[in-house]
Amino acid sequence: MDVLFHVKDLVLLAAEGGEAASHAAGVPQKIVEVGYLWLIPFFPLLGFAINAAFGHLIQRRFGKKYVSYIAVGAMALAFLVAVAAWIQMIGLPASERYLVNFLWNLFTAGDVQANLSFALDPLSMMMVLIITFVGSLIHIYSIGYMADDPAYWRFFCYLNLFVFSMLLLVMGDNLVLMFFGWEGVGLCSYLLIGFWYEDIEKAKAAVKAFVTNRVGDFGFVLGMFLLFWALGGSWVQKKNVVAKHERVWSQVDPNYKPVAQTGTFYERDPALSPQSSHRGIRIGPSLTFREIRDQLSSEETGMKERLLGMNFFGIPLLILAGILLFVGATAKSAQIPLYVWLPDAMAGPTPVSALIHAATMVTAGVYMVARLNFLFALSPAVMTVIAMTGAITAMFAASIGFVQNDIKKVLAYSTVSQLGFMFIGVGVGAFWAGAYHLLTHAFFKACLFLGSGSVILGCHHEQDMRKMGGLKRFMPLTEKTYLYACIAISGFPIANAFFSKDEILWRAFDSGHNLLDPSLGKLIWFIGWLTACGTSFYMWRSYYMTFTGEYRGAAGHRPSHGALATHSVGAAHAGTFNHDVLMSATVFDDDPHPDSGGVDAHAKGTAKHPDHPDHKAEGGHGHGGVPHESPGTMTYVLVTLAAGCAATIVLGFWAPLGNLLGIDALKVPLLEHWLEPTMAPTLELVEKRSAQSGHAWEWALIFASVGVAFLGWFIARSFYKDARSHAPAKLAAMFPRLHRVVYNKYYVDEFYQATVLRAVSLLSRAFATFDAKVIDGAVNAVAVVARFICNISGAADTYLVDGAVNLVAEGVIQTGHRLRRIQTGRIQTYLYAAVAGVLVLIGIHYLIR
Amino acid sequence: MNNLLSLLIFIPALGAGLIGVSLALPLRKEQRDQLARWIALVASAISCLIGIYLWITYDGSAVGKIQFLERSIWIPSLNIEYFVGVDGISVSLVILSTLISFIATIASMPWWAGRHEHHDPAHPHFSVVKVPGYMTMLLFLQTGMSGTFAALDMFLFFVFWEVMLLPMYFLIGIWGGPRKEYAAIKFFLYTLGGSVLLLLAIIALYYRTGDPETIQRLASSNPQAFQRLVSSGVWQHGTGGLQWGYLLSDGRIVARTFNMLTMAKLGQAGFFDQVGPILGGITFSKLIWVFMFLAFAVKVPMVPFHTWLPDAHVEAPTPISVILAGILLKMGIYGMLRMNWAMLPGATASFAEAVSIFAVINIVYAAMVCLAQTDLKKLIAYSSVSHMGFSMLGMASMTEAGMSGAVLNLFTHGIISPMLFLIVGVIYDRAHHREISGFGGIAKVVPEYTAMMGLAFFASLGLPGLAGFISEFLVLNGSFATLPWQTVLSATAVVITAAYYLWTIQRIFLGNLNPKYAHLPDLNWRERLTLYPLGALAILFGFYPNVMLRLINTDLFALLRSIKGT
Amino acid sequence: MTLTILDNAQSMPYFLPETILTVGAMAIFVIDLFLQSSKRRIAIIAISSIGFLVAAAFATHYASVHPYVVDGQSFTPMQRPVGLFYGLMVIDPWAILFKYLSWVIAALAIWMAAPSLEIASERMGEYCALLLSITVGLSLMASSTDMLMIVIGVELVSLVSYALAGFKKHDRKSSEAALKYVVYGGVASGMMLFGMSYLFGLLGSTNLAMAGPQLRQYGERIFVMGLESGQFGAGQLALVLSVVLILSGVGYKIASVPWHMWCPDVYEGAPTPFTAFLSVGPKAAGFALAVRILYGAMSESGGNDLATVVSDVPWPVIIGVISAATMTLGNLAALNQTNLKRMLAYSSIAHAGYLLMGVAAASATGSASVAIYLMVYLFMNLGAFLVVGIVGRLAGSESIFEYRGLSSRAPFAAVAFAIFLFSLTGLPPLAGFVGKFHLFKALVDRGGSWQIALAIIGVLNSAVSLYYYARIVRTMFLERPTNLEIIPVPRSYNVLLGVLVLGVIVFGIYFDGLRRIADGALGMFGHS
Repeated sequence: MDVLFHVKDLVLLAAEGGEAASHAAGVPQKIVEVGYLWLIPFFPLLGFAINAAFGHLIQRRFGKKYVSYIAVGAMALAFLVAVAAWIQMIGLPASERYLVNFLWNLFTAGDVQANLSFALDPLSMMMVLIITFVGSLIHIYSIGYMADDPAYWRFFCYLNLFVFSMLLLVMGDNLVLMFFGWEGVGLCSYLLIGFWYEDIEKAKAAVKAFVTNRVGDFGFVLGMFLLFWALGGSWVQKKNVVAKHERVWSQVDPNYKPVAQTGTFYERDPALSPQSSHRGIRIGPSLTFREIRDQLSSEETGMKERLLGMNFFGIPLLILAGILLFVGATAKSAQIPLYVWLPDAMAGPTPVSALIHAATMVTAGVYMVARLNFLFALSPAVMTVIAMTGAITAMFAASIGFVQNDIKKVLAYSTVSQLGFMFIGVGVGAFWAGAYHLLTHAFFKACLFLGSGSVILGCHHEQDMRKMGGLKRFMPLTEKTYLYACIAISGFPIANAFFSKDEILWRAFDSGHNLLDPSLGKLIWFIGWLTACGTSFYMWRSYYMTFTGEYRGAAGHRPSHGALATHSVGAAHAGTFNHDVLMSATVFDDDPHPDSGGVDAHAKGTAKHPDHPDHKAEGGHGHGGVPHESPGTMTYVLVTLAAGCAATIVLGFWAPLGNLLGIDALKVPLLEHWLEPTMAPTLELVEKRSAQSGHAWEWALIFASVGVAFLGWFIARSFYKDARSHAPAKLAAMFPRLHRVVYNKYYVDEFYQATVLRAVSLLSRAFATFDAKVIDGAVNAVAVVARFICNISGAADTYLVDGAVNLVAEGVIQTGHRLRRIQTGRIQTYLYAAVAGVLVLIGIHYLIR
Repeated sequence: MNNLLSLLIFIPALGAGLIGVSLALPLRKEQRDQLARWIALVASAISCLIGIYLWITYDGSAVGKIQFLERSIWIPSLNIEYFVGVDGISVSLVILSTLISFIATIASMPWWAGRHEHHDPAHPHFSVVKVPGYMTMLLFLQTGMSGTFAALDMFLFFVFWEVMLLPMYFLIGIWGGPRKEYAAIKFFLYTLGGSVLLLLAIIALYYRTGDPETIQRLASSNPQAFQRLVSSGVWQHGTGGLQWGYLLSDGRIVARTFNMLTMAKLGQAGFFDQVGPILGGITFSKLIWVFMFLAFAVKVPMVPFHTWLPDAHVEAPTPISVILAGILLKMGIYGMLRMNWAMLPGATASFAEAVSIFAVINIVYAAMVCLAQTDLKKLIAYSSVSHMGFSMLGMASMTEAGMSGAVLNLFTHGIISPMLFLIVGVIYDRAHHREISGFGGIAKVVPEYTAMMGLAFFASLGLPGLAGFISEFLVLNGSFATLPWQTVLSATAVVITAAYYLWTIQRIFLGNLNPKYAHLPDLNWRERLTLYPLGALAILFGFYPNVMLRLINTDLFALLRSIKGT
Repeated sequence: MTLTILDNAQSMPYFLPETILTVGAMAIFVIDLFLQSSKRRIAIIAISSIGFLVAAAFATHYASVHPYVVDGQSFTPMQRPVGLFYGLMVIDPWAILFKYLSWVIAALAIWMAAPSLEIASERMGEYCALLLSITVGLSLMASSTDMLMIVIGVELVSLVSYALAGFKKHDRKSSEAALKYVVYGGVASGMMLFGMSYLFGLLGSTNLAMAGPQLRQYGERIFVMGLESGQFGAGQLALVLSVVLILSGVGYKIASVPWHMWCPDVYEGAPTPFTAFLSVGPKAAGFALAVRILYGAMSESGGNDLATVVSDVPWPVIIGVISAATMTLGNLAALNQTNLKRMLAYSSIAHAGYLLMGVAAASATGSASVAIYLMVYLFMNLGAFLVVGIVGRLAGSESIFEYRGLSSRAPFAAVAFAIFLFSLTGLPPLAGFVGKFHLFKALVDRGGSWQIALAIIGVLNSAVSLYYYARIVRTMFLERPTNLEIIPVPRSYNVLLGVLVLGVIVFGIYFDGLRRIADGALGMFGHS
């Protein structure tokens, strides 16, 4: 409990920190009404609709390229509109950069109101540009990648639907609309992961992704409700409830029990109904970002103090709400503990992995935190949770990345790790840095994924890096882009990621009281720093294993690969550990997860449906042929993205360096400047809380990061270049258990399987049995009992009487005189009964008077 | 057109009569069947059109104004009136009932029957057996349903309420599946057992409306409420010995009334709470509340009174399941709202907490049970139980959002669950079984069917952008204010629901194609006719729920305010 | 209450209906003698006896409007009840209503008998004549206020019933039924006489019309005596004994627990048309009598149409107990009967229980509801037995197995039967619901705790009863027929079925008329 108090006074510390902030924050937010924003999501929706309705016809009648024309065209148009909006926004003064486009009211019920209306502020503008631009590129890339898939039209229509949902997510001006997109992208990711649904493993991966995300949504929704109602009133203790209710009910029913006597009662604060506005600020429960932001970031409303002081069953409300919302983020952005779905999600086609599981969807959580910065910044406790989660996830995922052999798997874990970095950023209050890393990541990770896709396609759907190597010769363009992306991600100061990651680390180091305790910042920096080294190592490892040395896949891939996939085999290998372990090690992860999807899945695919990609089109790239460079639609996209990695340096060029070089434009990073209006409510607060450690430290940290980047590169190079060193195998042999545990991702999935899922399934079966046996049983039992009773009462009629009669009748059976038979006492029984009845009635009469 | 509602209600009955007459005509069996089908189709189509007209012309802004009102004396000596009309609470359901009835009638046609459908001589398809009888029952059922929602006289309400039982009994019992007799009688007994208590409650309320002592007690204990009633014309000065009376449509002023609106006004003034304790110290209003609640809880159905539902659903032919899930279940909630909530707010206040707990049990327990089902239809039946729980939760919450969501949920679930049952029907007609484990990978052969199924399933699991989400969101949001813990528990169903639906999809549609169904035919036109309109509505309500909310909310909030007495 | 006493001469015009029927009965015998056994004799006899009933109906109307002069101004019995034969019996709306009912029931029973094979054509005359004389007995029961007259009415009905119950000569069951009926009836009426003798001893008069005040005085008297002697027991016991014993006579006629046991056997044994008659006619008369004695005589006015019970005989509670026991036992015992006649016998016992709820309410509403229920009960129960007759006609047995798939063998009969059965269950919009509704309403209006409890028992019972009624429906509609042979239904039966079905539905939807008749019929009770 005293922990909570500790937390609380830190929360209060946040309060006076906040005062200054609101002046800078343009409150109330000025808005510019525009009428065209709906076009941005509309075009992808239209593309989806057309392809969904007529896609298969178009594909059959006119050929695939028309399908892709529709899809890509939709994306291009959306991008153009987005750019137009951007231009308009640039034209506006910083405080007015908030475009709103109201369409219609979704529902209004009392205070609960939600509109279908879009809003663009600098942050969402950035997101929209990323989504539409990278999205378009990936659409183009898919033209080549999916060329041989029979369900071409389906793929593009899902892709468009995804972009539509993603745009809803970032453009919605209220939490409800954001949730529309939030779940919409979940749906699309479900559809796209399970795109090759004939493979049950992929289908399972899809289900896993959606359900895991639902767990997050559970938290998200509750956080939303908590925040919403907290803005309009509070949950008061019982005494007040009764008092309150007396007023309402007493004249109705003297001896009533009020609704909330045994629970809580939500008491509305009439001063806070959404109608009551204060200097243009609507005060009260609201789901609209702008309104929440306004009333939270202006002092006069006093809303901030209210929330800071408010408790929900003894827990500081802001902490509860923040953590609940963050739970949603952990699911969507694959953080501990809900990251498990993302690696499995690699079962989807590679462009999907690039678009959804690297560039856009998975960053939704980061976006949400940045969007609600004014809320999160108020509570250092929540900030700490976010930052620590990010840091731990980053290292954890990186460590798994060390030993993966499936190229996509490596990238998947690297994504999880990078997302961890982003959360460190937003967690320590460096919202802009987090956003910047989001942006850079979108480029280099998309580049890496698409590069890997090109490699996979080149090696005839081989994903195991141990069967690649020496691809430099066969696919030079891919190699160069991949190389540059590696340079970026591993943090060499000649590509964008260095600047974003380093800013994050520095701000973490410098976070001070933005977290519960200044020392935490240092710790987080250290974790991040180590992780950076790890990142550099596994990325270079993947590069060297893939592109250098001799091509090892000439034999073509082994169709039987998946057949080995059982735990028993794994167990067999558990004891004796030899060089071959690397090969057999893959076995561990094939089952129960669909991870190393591509390979064996496709192998199965061959057997099952001859019309699968790369199976009929031998000419294109058959099995076992030499690797080959991918078509232009793909390589040019790679080049563009690589160029992007370089170009985006400008956005976040490191300020001290800018000072050093004396370029005015770079004195404050462009992006930070651009995002200022969005982050305004928190800037000063964060600044005020930060540790203010000097530039000397900053320089030192830079060299440290660059140093570890080099270190990681050096190790990877010496281990894996041209696959000549045996060090990896030796190491693995030295620590077999460790290797196996890490290789199997610390058995987290198995753990969930054994605990949560098992519990649920048991419980459900128990309930079902209960329902069938007990409840329904009881119902039927009633019927049985009734029949039983009526048998008894019938017995008065049949057995008792007839029985006696028949018994006597036996004696006189031969004398067929009915008279006799009737004098046998049956009728007398009747009469006795009658008389007895009379006596009983008389008895009753005496009883009742 | 001032007797529009009567047309809407009785045109199906008229059709039934026509079918009865047609039996007398000298026709061959085939001709007779065809005739019956067409009569049924036309009748329900007309009433559906009237329903849509209602939807368009209903004025959602008018507060507490009964629209399309028809009122005339029926049984003068008992003050029973033929009194129908719609307000915000009932309009959506009247529309729904005509709509779903029409869909169900289409689904009862043997049109475009694929070769997989009616080829089993031992068990012929329901749509070709005893057609005239089937259609007659279906039409009577429609009359009963729309009548129940439109009736504003309690006696009339009860008559319509009971009228539905017989057709339902026969429709399940004659055209049902293997265990039809059991299911039919179970449904019948269950519902009747509930409704006899309702009958007593109705009589008791009727008698109390004319109880001078109670009136006196109200006048003394709460004069301003009394004055409000008098000034609003609920109570008129009677002639003869009668001091206070109620104005009937034939101008008489009588001592007692069955008029539901009047009763609601009385109840909200706390009239029924003035009655002294009966039956050994139980408060009158609470006893009556429990009686009515039991009757409606069976219909909802509320755990533990729900076990008739899975049986009835599993045995009933598809269109009947559609009507069961689409309309009949809604009557429970509607009745609670109309009677328990509106007429006995005092008792409601004291029971709301308990109701919310039952609601949570409904939601979570039923969802859990779904996870373990092996029969697709049973799974969906239980999912209905779970979803109706949301309505109960919303009503118990007593907040605008909660109530609004609860009533909207009736409509959205009324659109989605019929879709689900139709989808089950499609697969059952082709494969002649519903074992989830018996399929696999059929998405490859029936893409269109898969798409519709996906739409329905995702709508039902509350995916934003589809109908189910809006109502669930409103309910949960509203109830979080007053019932936070119940809401948290109920929200877990969000995850469970997703789990059992997606798992079902995976087992039936994804993975390797089960060779047995390599040549499964895709949707035929009859099924398209039934599925596409519902699908379209599901999407429409996902993005523009105001289409219905604007009809519902005004009156609903007025009711809520007067219940709360603020 | 003001009752005008007429002497014998003045009484004759009001006694016309009974006279006509008595003459009619004899006339039928004569006609019977002169008719050869021709095809048309059944028709002739049936039509002529129905003719007599119609005549009786007109006579009843005449009697109801025939004016008489009291100190200057003239009244009709409808306005002001009139006592015949120095007050042996009374003509008032209540009596007239039940007279009409008796005529209708008898006519229907004859109509049913005509095509029935159970009654041989040569014995048709006999049957009709006896039926007419029973009818006379019924009308006497309905209208007599003097204990002697009551006994005569009851005995007349009973004695002739014995004959008709054993009508099927060479049928064991029939004769057995008759004999049981005789013995049972003998004892029952013996009990009643015994009770009446006590009451006569207590009140010093055989006339019940004035019993109310006298009973009160008696009550006070024994109270005083009790104060003096310190022992209340004896006088009290005598009173209670007499009341309960008189009840037993009535209870035997309406077949209520514990005097119900003859019912199933007799119903099963007697020829179906007569069973139908038995299940409605004597019941109606019995209830007329019960209400006249209990509500009419043994209670006084007490504010808004509720009767206060005279003296300290709490007959409403006793009736309530009997009612609960009767309906519960009837329903439960009916649940697993396989012989339809037996099942319907028990169901009619249960219905006696329902009807007693109306009596137990001890209010004008209650008595009216009894009348209403009897009116609708007439239609549905006769209808049910008619269908039983139709099926039995071909199959020769009433086993439920004969009804498998009846819907395909005799569609109209099956549908009609279903309607009657659901009406007996009390489902709207059928007449049975109207009846039940009024019974429950009467109790709830009365409003005491045990009344509510009784009402709850009642509704639960009607839910239970659904089970066995629905069982028949299931057999008819849901089960496949054993033999597909179409059951031939005489046209006259179809017509009759149509009439009854129509009645059940019409009265179910619009029952205001019933209510007015019933309310009007209560005019005679001074208090109400």
